[in-house]
Amino acid sequence: MSPKEPMDTPFHNPGWAGNTGEFDLTEDQVRGDDFVGSRPLAGAHPSSSASYPYVLVDKHPESPLFEGPYRERFDKILTRYPDTRAALLPVLNLAQEVRGHVSPETMDRVGELLDLEPAYVRGVVTFYTMYNKRPVGRFLIQVCTNISCNLCGADEVMDAFLRYSNTEPGETSEDGDFTVIEAECLAGCGFPTCVQINSRYYENVKAGDIPSLCERLRADGK
Amino acid sequence: MAYPYVSDREVRVISTQFGDPEARTLAGAKQRGRYQGLKTALDMSPDAVVDIVKASGLRGRGGAGFPTGLKWSFMPKDYDKPHYLCCNADESEPGTFKDREIIRWDPHQLVEGCLIGAYAIRARHAYIYCRGEFFEATQVLARAVEEAYADGLIGDDVMGSGQKIDLTVHVGSGAYICGEETGLMNSLEGRRGEPRVKPPFPAAVGVFGMPTTVNNVETLCAVPHIVVNGSEWYRQWGSEKSPGTKLFCVSGHVRKPGNYELPLGFPLMDLIDDLCGGITNGNALKAVIPGGSSVPLLTAEECRSCALDYEGVSSCGSMLGCASVIVMDETTDIVKQVRRMAAFYAHESCGQCTPCREGSIWVTRTLERIEAGRGTEDDLDTLMELTAQMVGTTICVLSDSVAAPVQSSVLKFRDEYLALIRRGERVGTA
Repeated sequence: MSPKEPMDTPFHNPGWAGNTGEFDLTEDQVRGDDFVGSRPLAGAHPSSSASYPYVLVDKHPESPLFEGPYRERFDKILTRYPDTRAALLPVLNLAQEVRGHVSPETMDRVGELLDLEPAYVRGVVTFYTMYNKRPVGRFLIQVCTNISCNLCGADEVMDAFLRYSNTEPGETSEDGDFTVIEAECLAGCGFPTCVQINSRYYENVKAGDIPSLCERLRADGK
Repeated sequence: MAYPYVSDREVRVISTQFGDPEARTLAGAKQRGRYQGLKTALDMSPDAVVDIVKASGLRGRGGAGFPTGLKWSFMPKDYDKPHYLCCNADESEPGTFKDREIIRWDPHQLVEGCLIGAYAIRARHAYIYCRGEFFEATQVLARAVEEAYADGLIGDDVMGSGQKIDLTVHVGSGAYICGEETGLMNSLEGRRGEPRVKPPFPAAVGVFGMPTTVNNVETLCAVPHIVVNGSEWYRQWGSEKSPGTKLFCVSGHVRKPGNYELPLGFPLMDLIDDLCGGITNGNALKAVIPGGSSVPLLTAEECRSCALDYEGVSSCGSMLGCASVIVMDETTDIVKQVRRMAAFYAHESCGQCTPCREGSIWVTRTLERIEAGRGTEDDLDTLMELTAQMVGTTICVLSDSVAAPVQSSVLKFRDEYLALIRRGERVGTA
């Protein structure tokens, strides 16, 4: 048995914000932001209006479902499926985008909008991990600790986030900024450790990067 | 501006645009040859498209390796009912990270593949079911779809052919099981993503009760190239039964992890030692999982002669799956990693079938006990017995996927389990 040593070669794959290694691209190019631009709140073409459940930094749990541009997006989503039930997941995503989490009251309201029983909606919500059943911090940090990331030090990354935020997994930090949870494979296995923070992926994250990463989040919101 | 780790031993068909941001735009994509396959396909009959894909021998890249052309040929040959094409972009098998790369670097390739697939199976609507976590990649795809709509490539009159094909980008909400095709269909319908009993098969009764085909992202992306270049062209790579190229996702203890597109049948050790630059720190190889966490582990010895195609990996005692090669060096704590995989399945089990719901949890608890140094030798027999009852006894194969790493590790790395059980010694630290 040999002692664990640090990786002898840095990972140069693109992904990790601010460190694209030998890869001659900006972060916006790697993420695709330069192509995507900012997305209209009302949704663009209906074909893609179900595709963006933003995870926003500021949460408004009391916001109405749905008004203004969100109502437009809701209407567009409904046009893409042969029945209203199929719109349930995208609409719940939209509700979470607006409110930050999916409370029982939110579930009832979504059920009303789509003519579905409250118990049915609850059954669906509890099946899927991306619906936050409780309020979360401004930054929801999901650390992949599954096998590929785990082999490359994901447990240390998880610990570093918990230490920095001074929380237990799933708890929100006192200042309301961070909620750190363990995530299952995020499909970024070639870029360990892969971390999802709100809507974005941060890749090749090492335990030592956590303080600067969290400070960047606080300063820039992303 | 090539992707950082490119080897001249790679054969890049699908991955040519990785690392090139201009390929994302419609203009850039067209310059790079995108939508020529769609044009060619629309000049053919749907059945002729199915035939060419059948002749190419393309097999589904999502894990099961079912021949794509054959799958398409099961669809009814008329327009009596609405047909649906679902593209499975719910990539979540641990070790797999190819679909997100395709989507975020070359979205038009996928759009084109979906349109050709929809045309071939006579579908008027295709859904791309993206994993919810893929927010950024999905936005790239969504933007590409919008551009394609504006250009008349999707919609009521695809490329002036009179064909109507719509395409919708749908996102999931975080559930591994929605990558199973019937689970995906339930989820798309707004239900819990619980797999359905087959038969009826999706080609008869699929999403919204209508004939449906579900194809993986990588499968659909290979289709335009086959349509343009012909089935013989595709068969120049790989073997008779496993033709073509495949993206191999290499992760774990290698110097250069990443996606490598290789002809099927490529030697596993060449991939690790040559293309990936060998094991980190010059360590010795301990084990490899060749096809994502749902397949049996291979020992270093078994890897020596392993050729990476469906038959080659099977003959070594594992499965190619979705070609997600997870490399573990001598510092790996096998018990810990197997426990982590089992915990993943326990978390992701949908709970419909008792062997899986109960079994995955008991397996995880037993492994946790062994890992904590409180295991007994009987626990190893318990693990084998429990997992034996989890194979072939459930609606879908998630249950079998728990058994694969557990059984293979208990059989092949028994010493490591025993070291922990008898002497409390952990073998490895990673």
